Amino acid sequence: DQIASDPAQAANLVTGIYNIFYAGGFDPDVESFQYVIMTDIASDDADKGSTPTDYGDALQIDNLQTTPSNGTINNVWRGYYQGIARANQAIGVLQNAQFDAATKNRLLGEAQFLRAWFYFNMVRFFGGVPLLDHVPTAAEANDSKYQTRASVDDIYKLIISDLDFAVANLPLKGATDVGRATQGAAQALEAKVYLYRKDYQKAYDLSQAVIASGKYSLVKDYSLIWRENAVNGDGGINNAESIFEIQAGINQDCTSGPNLYTVSQGPRAGGKFGWSDLGFGFNNPSTSLINEYEANDVRKTGTIIFITPTGTRLFDGFRIPSQDSVQNSTYSYKAYHSRTQERNCSGNTDHLPKQLRILRYGEVLLIHAEAAFQLGKVGDATTDIGMLRTRAGLPAMPAAGINLASIWHEHRMEMAEEHDRFFDLVRQDAVQPGRAAAAFTAHGKTWSSTYALFPIPQQQIDLSGNRLTQNPGY
Amino acid sequence: QNTPIKGKVTDAATGETLIGVSVTIKGTTNGTQTDVNGAFSINAPANATLVFTYVGYASQEKPAAQPLDVKMVAQARELQQVVVIGYGTQRKRDVTGSIGNVSGAQLAKQPVQTPTQALQGKVSGVQVLSSGQPNSSPQVRIRGTGSILGGANPLYVVDGVLTNDIRNINNNDILSIDVLKDASAAIYGVRGANGVIIITTKKGKKGPPVIAYDANFGFREAANTIKMVNRDQYLGYETDVNPSALAANAPPLTFPGTTNWYDEVLRKGFTMNHNISLSGGGDNNTYFVSASYLDDQGITKTNDFSRFTLRANNDVNITSKLKFTEQLSLTRSVENPISASSIFGNVYRAAPIVIGQDANGLYGNTSAWGNVGNPLVQLDKANNYTGANRVQGNVALDYDILKSLKFHTAFNVDGVWDNQRNYLYKFGADAGTFTTGGGNQRQDNSSLFIQQDNAYNYNWDNTLTYDKRFDKHHVTVLGGYTSEKFRYSYINGTRLNVPPISDQWYLDLGDPSLSTAIANNGDKYTRQSLIARANYDYGGKYLISGSFRRDGSSKFSEKWGNFYTVGAGWVISEEDFMKDQKIFNYLKLRGSYGQLGNDNIPSSLYIVTATSNLPYYYSGQLTEGTAIQQIKDPNLHWEITDQLDLGFEYAVLNNRLTGEVDYYKKKVKDALIQVPLPAILGSSDAVYTTNAASFQNSGWEFGLKWSDKIGKDFSYYAGANFSINNNKLTGLNGGQYLTGGGINGQYVTRTDNGQPIASYYVLNAIGVFQNQAEVSAAPPNNLGEANHVGGLRYADTNGDGKIDANDRIYAGSYQPKYYGGFNFGFTYTSFDLGADFYYNWGNKIYNGNRNARADLRDNIESEFADARFTTSRPSTSDPNVITSNTPPSTYFIESGAFLRLNNLTLGYTFPTDMVKKVGIAKVRVFLTSQNLFTITGYKGISPELIPPTTPTTNGLVNVVSSAGILGSGIDQSVYPVVRTFSFGVNVQF
Repeated sequence: DQIASDPAQAANLVTGIYNIFYAGGFDPDVESFQYVIMTDIASDDADKGSTPTDYGDALQIDNLQTTPSNGTINNVWRGYYQGIARANQAIGVLQNAQFDAATKNRLLGEAQFLRAWFYFNMVRFFGGVPLLDHVPTAAEANDSKYQTRASVDDIYKLIISDLDFAVANLPLKGATDVGRATQGAAQALEAKVYLYRKDYQKAYDLSQAVIASGKYSLVKDYSLIWRENAVNGDGGINNAESIFEIQAGINQDCTSGPNLYTVSQGPRAGGKFGWSDLGFGFNNPSTSLINEYEANDVRKTGTIIFITPTGTRLFDGFRIPSQDSVQNSTYSYKAYHSRTQERNCSGNTDHLPKQLRILRYGEVLLIHAEAAFQLGKVGDATTDIGMLRTRAGLPAMPAAGINLASIWHEHRMEMAEEHDRFFDLVRQDAVQPGRAAAAFTAHGKTWSSTYALFPIPQQQIDLSGNRLTQNPGY
Repeated sequence: QNTPIKGKVTDAATGETLIGVSVTIKGTTNGTQTDVNGAFSINAPANATLVFTYVGYASQEKPAAQPLDVKMVAQARELQQVVVIGYGTQRKRDVTGSIGNVSGAQLAKQPVQTPTQALQGKVSGVQVLSSGQPNSSPQVRIRGTGSILGGANPLYVVDGVLTNDIRNINNNDILSIDVLKDASAAIYGVRGANGVIIITTKKGKKGPPVIAYDANFGFREAANTIKMVNRDQYLGYETDVNPSALAANAPPLTFPGTTNWYDEVLRKGFTMNHNISLSGGGDNNTYFVSASYLDDQGITKTNDFSRFTLRANNDVNITSKLKFTEQLSLTRSVENPISASSIFGNVYRAAPIVIGQDANGLYGNTSAWGNVGNPLVQLDKANNYTGANRVQGNVALDYDILKSLKFHTAFNVDGVWDNQRNYLYKFGADAGTFTTGGGNQRQDNSSLFIQQDNAYNYNWDNTLTYDKRFDKHHVTVLGGYTSEKFRYSYINGTRLNVPPISDQWYLDLGDPSLSTAIANNGDKYTRQSLIARANYDYGGKYLISGSFRRDGSSKFSEKWGNFYTVGAGWVISEEDFMKDQKIFNYLKLRGSYGQLGNDNIPSSLYIVTATSNLPYYYSGQLTEGTAIQQIKDPNLHWEITDQLDLGFEYAVLNNRLTGEVDYYKKKVKDALIQVPLPAILGSSDAVYTTNAASFQNSGWEFGLKWSDKIGKDFSYYAGANFSINNNKLTGLNGGQYLTGGGINGQYVTRTDNGQPIASYYVLNAIGVFQNQAEVSAAPPNNLGEANHVGGLRYADTNGDGKIDANDRIYAGSYQPKYYGGFNFGFTYTSFDLGADFYYNWGNKIYNGNRNARADLRDNIESEFADARFTTSRPSTSDPNVITSNTPPSTYFIESGAFLRLNNLTLGYTFPTDMVKKVGIAKVRVFLTSQNLFTITGYKGISPELIPPTTPTTNGLVNVVSSAGILGSGIDQSVYPVVRTFSFGVNVQF
């Protein structure tokens, strides 16, 4: 009650939603280690990593053998609904709040943007899920309306209405605090949503709006996109290319960063010891990914840490010893966080303040290119792809070479290890059946359409009194 | 005209002199007591009658004559004794409830730290589990597990102080312990559901000062450890299951010997205990003052405990109608605690091929071998200290308004102040600390943690008691009001890089630029209660009683509840038709029924609170966000227990054999559980604490005591008790079972309708795959572990062609179906010998140590190494390897039955004539052993499992953990049980 009349308190509830990005570890997870398992490790971009038997739940997902009792899917389900609940709390209070309309609508826009992002991931992981657009009362909670799955279309309807509101009410980049959702973020996300819905016109229009806003541009050096510090004004956190980015920092309890995100993907000690390893060794870039890079593509070394026979020196000077000391032969460079050159909370590595780039301009160009191509605007697509290839140190693609296959190739190269590949493959498979099967065959796994959606966690089915139905094939 | 009358009082049967017999002149309050020679002297009129009374003997009246020799006849002690029933006392023969009683002497003779531990095996229906960890609180279950969340331990009442923790009590100060097992505990209302243990401390007796000194000295050792593999066995095992690790030939392999990690961390711990007391009394006062010092070095290196207690109990008759009483104790304890669960976990897992510590003081680097941290480093690189102070006791006034109407008011206080200081030394994973560098066991910054706790509790009791006999009618009515208040707070802080010098261990000396943390929190609650009780008996033959308590508790939004009990008894042996029979000296039937409560949960569980310090950053600035993370039940209320008790008590064979039999049925409804919530509600812990379960404990209790004398020099006794308990869950709201006890990410126990709380619910292991053909033919395993030759095979219980969570079966629980104790002893001339046994059976243990394999480099048990499947030596029962993917199964379930000799004591009392010459009244020396042997088939370290704790000295605070009860019986990293040998002396001046 107190919260409803006090704008500061209402704003705090919105901040509370953003805070869910730090959840993770082996507990409910939103954007951290277990999310990485379900997006990268699940895909053909990465192998599970670590020791062969470590983490049975991740092993199941890597091998396309996910069972409904898998703990990872349950933790991600739980993490996202915690985010949704926090968003609903904030939205409920804000809608009844008595203070100036501009602030109120901006805060509502942020909360609805975040809710849309949560539901977008949920619908991509699981298909139709229970739809809650407000905090249910105790009496409502057990209602079948909430304990059963809504249709995929209904979930997308909520996502789009939330994003429409966000686009209409959020300020442009620069007109609000760095880190808050902006109009550009809402347009970019909505463009992506429409790409998944195969509504290419709207995807084109919205991505075009982001481009036309003039607020964003590509970082010159691809490898600097994920660094904390800019080099000669290029790259670093909240860089020119960043559209929506998880903010992190150093607080007293060392809790201000996605839990275990970096350390879970860090290089792991293997045979010979004697060096302080950097992590658990999960999410290793796969042979299938490595094989797809063209010669001289700078994105290859920007994405992958290769463990070489003579040891590998990282950008900050840290030397990883040779393969006989290290468990795996490749690691993700995008998840790396320097212990010496970047912020560090008194040696605590659980919540290293790594700022995940959730939406960036490079991806908007890919959305724009694909939508343009589908609409027959090959010229636009050629321009977009040309910008990305030029940055990657590659010759631009002539208009004649622009087709779905070349756009999707560019998409994979550009977005590798950014926790998008699994979703993107499933999306492409819906456009061009057979894509996923071919990709997984190249990756040494056998695909079936069952895997396009993860199973609904058995625990949640039990808790609903069997009112949640399982996805087909599980 | 008064004349001095002198005389002597002896036992009619043995001729032994009786000390402290009360001698009064009939019709007056004048009196005296017999001295250490049984002699008395009193001035009395020539025509007076003297009344001789003595506990356990029939009273006698004799005309005053000179000289007067009185022979008193012993009565069955069990029947004459007075028991404490809460806010009053009653003769045991008049009681309608089921009350167990243990004398202080039986507790004090055992060299254990807490009175609770000494209760083990002494009272039917009372199950006690204790650990070898110094200053740990034993776990007590009266008539089974009565709660999952509300705390299943009983309420303790020490001289009127209500508490959860009696580790501050010196065993030698205890006069007696009474255990209210049935609904008669309803006089304690909302706190009575788990039974009540009432402790009465000693008071002085009228007479000359008596000084008593009791001491024992000895040592403790681990009663058992697990035999792990030696170097060759370990290397053989690694070669077989983990060859790639060995191929790297890491540095620890250069150490040639075998390390027994239990030997590395354990030691023989010296222990001693001294008590001295002074007691006596004059015409208007009695006094009892005592001091004690207990020192327990602990069987684990660096783990010490010592305790000092002071007690002063005084009674003063201010006027003939007004009496003042105080009973106060002060306890100071100092402890160097360890992180027991982590250390004993690592002791079990550390590889035997790594040296513990070499001659230069460098430690073996287990973690560089990819194994756990070296437990010796954990012990040596930490310095933990807890100093606790506790004041407990009361001041009271008793006023006799009328001869039959008495007013009692008592102010009871219990306060705890303690200081904790934990320091972690800085050390690197390098050659400065270890024989070889590497690995991840290191402490980059030294760290200092300081905590101060402050807890305070008072309860103020006011009662009026009316006690009147009309002819054969005897009525006692009690009415009263009590109020209670509890407050607790703590404050703690952490700083890094405080210098490694203990004089400088202050937070201010740390590095303020590094992470610092401060926490400050607390709790408070109040209760108000009205109490009433009425007892009526007719001729000592027909007994009726009832009690009522109305409790208001601040822990709930709906605060008030009523609790009651009714009871009836029939002393058949008093009936005329029993006069002629010779079998029963005493026979009583009794029954009681009542309703009790349990509100032992944190005080604000029904209030919805927002978390308001969730960090996020805008433009690099820290901002604190808010969210409501938990879902609360606004209608939460206490648990309700209905209990029926039927019993009979008897004395036969000339009062030499006495016994009791009880049947009980205890139904708990509205039990608090954490109902799992669907994730869609967004609760961060995904549970909702609410009253949604019901369960039942029912069973039988048998108690027997025999004592007799043969001739003048030989007396002996024997006793036994036996309890049967049947626990089961009868209702789960919503039908969602509860799980507990995770191993390798999978639960082990399930609590569901019709099954005991925390029943094991695991896969049924039915053998080992012998060859590839068997593997190919078997249903696929979807629980982490792929089928392989040498792997465990599981029954496809539901026949669906695959092994998964749906194939789990119930496989027993840790709750014993049968438990009890027996004891016997004798005294022959100057020697005495006594033995106490404890046993339980009908329960199972989950050998979690064997199941929880984090890594293939973890050490293994020698017995498993010899039994396990290898290609050259196929086994049909034991797999080749257990990994972190091995699911919980019946393979890890073992019998939890055991029989233990709890105490064996041999004493010798010096002849009185001899010691009298040096002015000493009595000297006894003794040898005693606690836990001399345990007979068990269990392969783990001990069948007696309580989860190790980092002990909280603050016993006033409720620690609620459903994990404890739902995960009970899963053996992981327990502190070894100890065996104690000691020599002691009792001296009385």
